[in-house]
Formats: sequence, structure tokens, C-alpha cells
Amino acid sequence: MGTAQLRLQLASDLSALEAARLAVLDFLLPHGPSARAVYAVELILEEVLSNQVKYAFSDGDAPGERPEPRIELTAWTELGNLMLQFEDGGVAFDPLQAEAPLPPTSIDVAPVGGLGVVLVRKFASSASYQRRAGRNCLTLGVALA
Amino acid sequence: MDMQVSEIGGNVTCIRLTGRLDAPGAGSIDTRFTATVVAQARDAVIDLSGVSFVASMGIRLLIASARGLSLKGANMVLFGAQDLVYTALDQAALDQIIPIVATESEAIARLAG
Repeated sequence: MGTAQLRLQLASDLSALEAARLAVLDFLLPHGPSARAVYAVELILEEVLSNQVKYAFSDGDAPGERPEPRIELTAWTELGNLMLQFEDGGVAFDPLQAEAPLPPTSIDVAPVGGLGVVLVRKFASSASYQRRAGRNCLTLGVALA
Repeated sequence: MDMQVSEIGGNVTCIRLTGRLDAPGAGSIDTRFTATVVAQARDAVIDLSGVSFVASMGIRLLIASARGLSLKGANMVLFGAQDLVYTALDQAALDQIIPIVATESEAIARLAG
């Protein structure tokens, strides 16, 4: 992990996405990313954060026992990649193990769900997930070049 | 997200989209886009040349509208996608179910074919 890193604590709320996007871009742009890298980072932020907001704190906990709905996002550069780490204390979910929808064969039967995970896998150069101390920890890399 | 609606040749709806087709962008045009495309029940071409970014919610909107149109016996063709937008659509295999071509004239020709 490089010396400089960005750490954000985000409310589990869709309105936090735009603030996160702008903060990460501010951190990223001095590293001279390619247009594809910028696109990939924006895509990953949108898909992962909106998934966490929608599902991480949605059910599975009795009232009063729900974890605090906050998402921690850490960004740093490492070996020519921007690394993004997303942590939350919500229900366990490994998006890297989620079954990808089958390639559609016609518009009438095409699935409309699951596309976000597909796009994240395609645009990330590396991906790992750990469940540790009751928290989801997803780390994704994007090549800067 | 901005959308402008016009008509081509009296029988094709043309919608030109401008801005980011992310979750907020898709949400801002969802009702109007779907109503315009599906309610008119005729072939539609969608100009993506002004779209700088597309994510899964934007792709869902395109699929849902194209499906609604298909149920009414009409088709949708996308055209003009910028390189990275095209890459995202391609990675989602959208071109397997909705034709994606380079230009407006190719889009019209695809509908005719």
C-alpha cells in the first residue's frame, strides 16, 4: 500500500455516491489515469456502493440489532493500479461468488438483474473478498494505464 | 440526463440522450423514456452519442424498454455509442439482444432490414 491513501466513511444512502465519486476522482486524477481507468473506477463505485446501500442492511437483523449502516471506502495506489476497498458490517455477501446471469438469447427472456456484478468483474483488473470480524471486505483493483 | 424526442420518416421514434446514464441519470428519465418508447408502440432508434457514461441501471432501462416494445411487435436499435460506453454495453452482452450500430442511417437500415 502506498503512503497516500484516501479513507471515506459513507452513509448507507444513495446520496453518498456522488460525494464518493468526486472524492475518489480527486484522489485518482493526479496519478494520470487513462480514460478507461477513470470509467472503470466510476463504474465500480456506482455498482458496488449502490449494491451495498440496497442490500447490506436490508434484512436479517432483529430491530435494535442492526449494524450501523455505514460503508468504509479506502483507496490507494499500488504497482500501477488504483485499489478500492469497500467494507461494511451488513449481511454477508460475496459478489464475486454471485452467479452471473447467462448470456441473453432474446430480448423477451433477457435478465435485467445481475448486470452490475458482471460489469464490475469485467472492468476490475483484480478482485478479492473476505468476511472478517463480521464485516464484508471487497477489494478491487483498476489498472491506471 | 437529458432526452430529446423526434420522429424520423413518420414511423420511427428517435430519442437522443445526453449526459450520464448512471443510477441517478436513468432514474431521472425512466418514466418518460419508457412511456415514450413503449406507449408509441413503433420502432425506435436511440442516439447514445451524447452519453458519456453508462452503468447497469442505464442498461436495465434500455432492456426493459426494448422488451416492452418487442411485446408490441416493434424494435429498438442503439447507435452512436462512444468507445467506453460501447465497451460497457458489449461487456454486458447487450448487443446480443438489442442491435448496436455506429450511425443513425445504419440504425434506420437495421430496422428496415
